[in-house]
Amino acid sequence: MKEILDVLPDTIRRVIEQMDTDIKKGIEEIRIRILRPLEIIVDGKSIIPDSDGGKHVITPQESGQLLNKLSQYSLYALEEELKRGYITIQGGHRVGLAGKVITEKGQVKAIKHIASFNIRVAKQKVGIADRFVPYLYDGKWLNTILIGPPQTGKTTLLRDLARIISTGDIARKLPSFKVGIVDERSEIAGCVNGVPQHHLGDRIDVLDACPKAEGMMMMIRSMSPDVLVVDEIGRKEDSEAILEAVNAGIQIIMTMHGNTMEDLFRRPSIRPLLDMGVFDRMIELTRANGPGTINRIRNQHGKEVYCKKVI
Amino acid sequence: MKILGAIIIIAASTWAGFEWAKKLSERPKQLRQLKVALQSLEAEIVYGLTPLGQACIHLAEQLPKPLAWFFETVNKKLEEGSSSAQEAWDSSLNEIWKFTAFRQGEMEVMRQLGATIGKHDRDHQQKQLRLALIHLEREEGEAKEEQVKYEKMIKSLGFLAGILLVILLI
Repeated sequence: MKEILDVLPDTIRRVIEQMDTDIKKGIEEIRIRILRPLEIIVDGKSIIPDSDGGKHVITPQESGQLLNKLSQYSLYALEEELKRGYITIQGGHRVGLAGKVITEKGQVKAIKHIASFNIRVAKQKVGIADRFVPYLYDGKWLNTILIGPPQTGKTTLLRDLARIISTGDIARKLPSFKVGIVDERSEIAGCVNGVPQHHLGDRIDVLDACPKAEGMMMMIRSMSPDVLVVDEIGRKEDSEAILEAVNAGIQIIMTMHGNTMEDLFRRPSIRPLLDMGVFDRMIELTRANGPGTINRIRNQHGKEVYCKKVI
Repeated sequence: MKILGAIIIIAASTWAGFEWAKKLSERPKQLRQLKVALQSLEAEIVYGLTPLGQACIHLAEQLPKPLAWFFETVNKKLEEGSSSAQEAWDSSLNEIWKFTAFRQGEMEVMRQLGATIGKHDRDHQQKQLRLALIHLEREEGEAKEEQVKYEKMIKSLGFLAGILLVILLI
């Protein structure tokens, strides 16, 4: 949280600091919109905090100050970020942006006149993947795909897996491996200037903001990872790169949008991989009992190796 | 006794003349340094995409004294959390100006540059820096002309004024 408070203008920071400690701990998002009240999302619920007896309405000056802090007074240095629509700040937190979009030849060039900021608090949940390690490791890490709709904790789980793989576990006789992360959306490692902000272990190499397919090839060619970690695969180039990696003897852990294994069959770009039995383990996530609920884990033949017990 | 007094008077007036002339030669020199500074800043921004504070540190390391102070101050104010880059720029200008040989013209150019610094994309930022450089070039030309015209004259004027005073007193 400290990193976020540091970039907020004093007036907004004071409002948040006045809130109860319990609420502060649960903050998921801080939403700042020009000329509209400050909104804070706590555990999925919206809260409009009071300040001096009224709502705290964001002034254009405050949003200008926030942008100055976010860009370190240098908008020109954010060109790439303004194209993608978000900025990653110290601590791995992400700030989503919305406003007037400038296009060039039909492609987004930048966002100008930024009117909305959405500060998403990054919370690394260390240890959530621990209990699934026995299903995913068998002498070596198995090629694993995490399937789930948005907001089910795929990336969070992926991040913790990356941490376990790179640090290893002496008690379980789990050796540590070199891990290469291709982090197209800067979400897994949350890099600032190329340095991971999350605690991921020492043997991690990150290609930050790199297109997945190209990034995977770059990693394979030059960084000799034992395990590759990628987020949200889906395009045709991705599956080609995955195949390349698998043939090179590199294990891959990846995530994908969907509900069940059957959804993968409906994706023409992923289908060939399934038919070849590339994915040794398929983990299906839901939001049923909050983000990060694992429904079941299946092997490459579709057989269940783990099933959540319904209570 | 008289001779000693005369020598002192002449020496003093000559020294005053040289000091005055130094101001004239200092201005084009500092203008040249300022131009170099803005060119480096352009490189930092356009090719290095360096954040402004960091770029100012780099410039302060490269440049000689009065200008290095300026960029140091800008960075310090940014780190302290000034509300905008323009504010940091302007207040640093005001603080450092008296230590330089610059005049109103350069001040105006730098102020205008400060109004846009850090607020635009690369292309726009480059255009503003180029524009500032053109203005500074003009100022430098004028300053040089002035230097050529007056420097020698002022130097000899100081010496001659001393002699005049001595003759009058004798």
